[in-house]
Amino acid sequence: MKHDVLIAGVGGQGTIFASRILSSYAMAIGFNALSTDTVGAAQRGGSVTSHVRISDGEIYSPLIPRNRADVMLGFESIEMLRHRKLASKDTVYILNMHKVPTTFTMMGIDKYPSDDEIIEAARRISDKGYVIRATETAERLGIVQSANVLMISALTKVDPFFSRDKVRKQVEAIAPKFAAANLKAFDAGYELIS
Amino acid sequence: MAERRFLMGNEAIARAGAESGVGVVTGYPGTPISEIPQSYLEYPWIHVEWSSNEKVALEVALGASLCNVRSMPVMKHNGTNVTTDFLMHLNFTGVVGGLVLVSGDDPGGLSSQNEEDTRILVHEYAELPVFDPSSVAEVKDMIKDAYPLSEETKLCFVVRPVIRICHSRAIVECEEVVKPRPAEFKDDRARFIMSAVEVPGYGGIKRPQLRHRWLNEKQNEIRKIMEESRYNSVEPGEGSIGLVGCGIGYAYIKEALQYVGKRYPVLKLCTLPLPESKVVSFVKNLDTVVVFEELAPVIERKLKEIFFDRGIGIKVLGRSGFLPSDGELSPEVVLDAIKKLDPTVKAEELGAPELGFQAPGRMRTQCIGCGYRPMLHALKLVSQKHKGIVTGDIGCHDAGSYPPMELQSTIYCMGSSIPMATGIASAGANRPVFSVIGDSTFYHNGIIGLINAVYHRAKVVALMCDNGTTAMTGFQPHAGSGVNIRGETVPTVDVLAICKALDVPVRVVDPYDIKAVKNALEEAIKDEGVSLVVSRRPCLLLSNRQGVELFEPSPVEVNTDKCTGCKICINTFGCPAISVIEGKASINQSACVKCGVCVDVCPVGAIEGEGYKRAGE
Repeated sequence: MKHDVLIAGVGGQGTIFASRILSSYAMAIGFNALSTDTVGAAQRGGSVTSHVRISDGEIYSPLIPRNRADVMLGFESIEMLRHRKLASKDTVYILNMHKVPTTFTMMGIDKYPSDDEIIEAARRISDKGYVIRATETAERLGIVQSANVLMISALTKVDPFFSRDKVRKQVEAIAPKFAAANLKAFDAGYELIS
Repeated sequence: MAERRFLMGNEAIARAGAESGVGVVTGYPGTPISEIPQSYLEYPWIHVEWSSNEKVALEVALGASLCNVRSMPVMKHNGTNVTTDFLMHLNFTGVVGGLVLVSGDDPGGLSSQNEEDTRILVHEYAELPVFDPSSVAEVKDMIKDAYPLSEETKLCFVVRPVIRICHSRAIVECEEVVKPRPAEFKDDRARFIMSAVEVPGYGGIKRPQLRHRWLNEKQNEIRKIMEESRYNSVEPGEGSIGLVGCGIGYAYIKEALQYVGKRYPVLKLCTLPLPESKVVSFVKNLDTVVVFEELAPVIERKLKEIFFDRGIGIKVLGRSGFLPSDGELSPEVVLDAIKKLDPTVKAEELGAPELGFQAPGRMRTQCIGCGYRPMLHALKLVSQKHKGIVTGDIGCHDAGSYPPMELQSTIYCMGSSIPMATGIASAGANRPVFSVIGDSTFYHNGIIGLINAVYHRAKVVALMCDNGTTAMTGFQPHAGSGVNIRGETVPTVDVLAICKALDVPVRVVDPYDIKAVKNALEEAIKDEGVSLVVSRRPCLLLSNRQGVELFEPSPVEVNTDKCTGCKICINTFGCPAISVIEGKASINQSACVKCGVCVDVCPVGAIEGEGYKRAGE
């Protein structure tokens, strides 16, 4: 059995930390994991993508092939949609409605799509999708840096492969310095999906 | 005792070096290999350095090798180009202690100025043996095998991981690390003096030819080694089409074959030179082979050569036209190729769903609050006023060449800004010529161009963006940083002292002070010959990490009554914390870092606040 997760966001959103949590969880429960991050110029506002591949057998390609993603996590409103060719009708996605404007949308050259346009495009991917406001919630809780953990927590609610308790343990173990904020985020994330 | 760890490809490479008893690690930062030297820091007995440039890194590594100490120079593909002159001597002399050059390629140019295949340089040109890993676990094994092989053959071995190996994380087996051998230098002038001297006993031929003969003879030895190598293997299958997987290409073949429901014969080729007998026996019952390799058709052409020489009639397809000749491979490239060749294969494929809108692209820019933005803004104002020409270089400042700023007119490779500006001035452009260069790039290669410009009295204004670090690749220190890779205090090679020695007028400015930068540039234009403006403040991101404040927090707000909607703050200055709402500038307060600089950008004073104030003043 295999489980392929695509995480898409922009620099500074903690996508790579999220990818580490999922890989560590996979290994902790006895699975094989292979992940790759495309960071480009992440620190300077570029797109960041992580492919996390989990399997009980051999994993060859670090990149998820098209139509093979089991899960897609969009940390920023449009970033996940760029990778829609990796999805199939069975893909479960969680989209964080959080817009990070681009240079060109600020200049008025490009138009940043509306929430409705984004949600509609996401619905065309599959009908197993969830749209949440993880960053907004994290901001309200005063832990904006932990929005990534809210996303991971939300994942444990919709995808039974990820055991809530065991993923929570990884969140705590991987970054003990930030455990308080991250666990607060983890508990809040679970409530974002009803 | 073996232990399983989840490591990034780059960490696995360093671990393999430590397990091989490497004593000296050198390199210059660049994606995809930047993390390798840093991963060595956990071994305090290893000399690890960020060298001034890649040629220097290779030279330092060979010096260690001549002392019978194992060494690892690390660089990205552009850097391997920089080593070429030295490489073309090192291949003739050979090594003493194992020397494994790690040359990371970035097919697709995901984080590079170009894309290229360094196998051509290190193997086709320098005739050195190459390992091309197909997985993270394999790159570790290859490094560990390469050290004893390098000593046995006296040749520098090259390991060429692509970005998908360097930046992937996987489970690898770790073994005990080994301490380096003690250094022991033994003279061997017949090898290490590369000069056109006649060598007695060889009928009057000179040493370069003799050493070339040595390298030619070595080719037979390494061919035999690769014939036996565990990194080349045959997996039998059915039909007359064979798939050849080289490096990561093998991983994509194996991935794709899970979905096509047909067992094609697969030949895994992860070494150069090629195992010729394996190749010939593989194609016995085939009429077509497809070669999947990053990035150029190197192995494809070699196979054609082998088959031509042996009179084997077989179709060889690959990167020379059948597959895309540029960009990264992927499982899809393999699937599409199989479907094109074999109409019986019907791997189902869903098209991408409609987006329904144009997704806006993301362009790299400076961080919010970075000193480079006001510095470039000032340069743009001065350059526009005098109809100047601006040449650029590699570093965070190069984003000034993209919209909205569109300042630099050229970006090539490390250190090319000052020489190109010299050329523009020498051609008689009759316009002020500016060049923008970073500090790490200056020490890498830029200093040579500056010396040349001084020598020829080029009328060039060089703006040096000195933030004290190699920020673009992750804050690696350099000769001007005052610390080494281990964070130890070391002498600072000060650019100001260098310029004093070169008799170049220097003006040091605070990049956040737009007026000061403008004034310095205006004065510099009037100088005879080369003039240098050094914009000196630390990198904001690095300062944040170190808990150092660069400026007093200065909250800003837009007075919408005053704002004329001219958009200079967006279309020229381009701070990502400023956007337009209903025709007026608006500050995104949660993104703004309160540097206050934009107060000086607005021509009508509509951005209100105290403005920039240097911390601690």
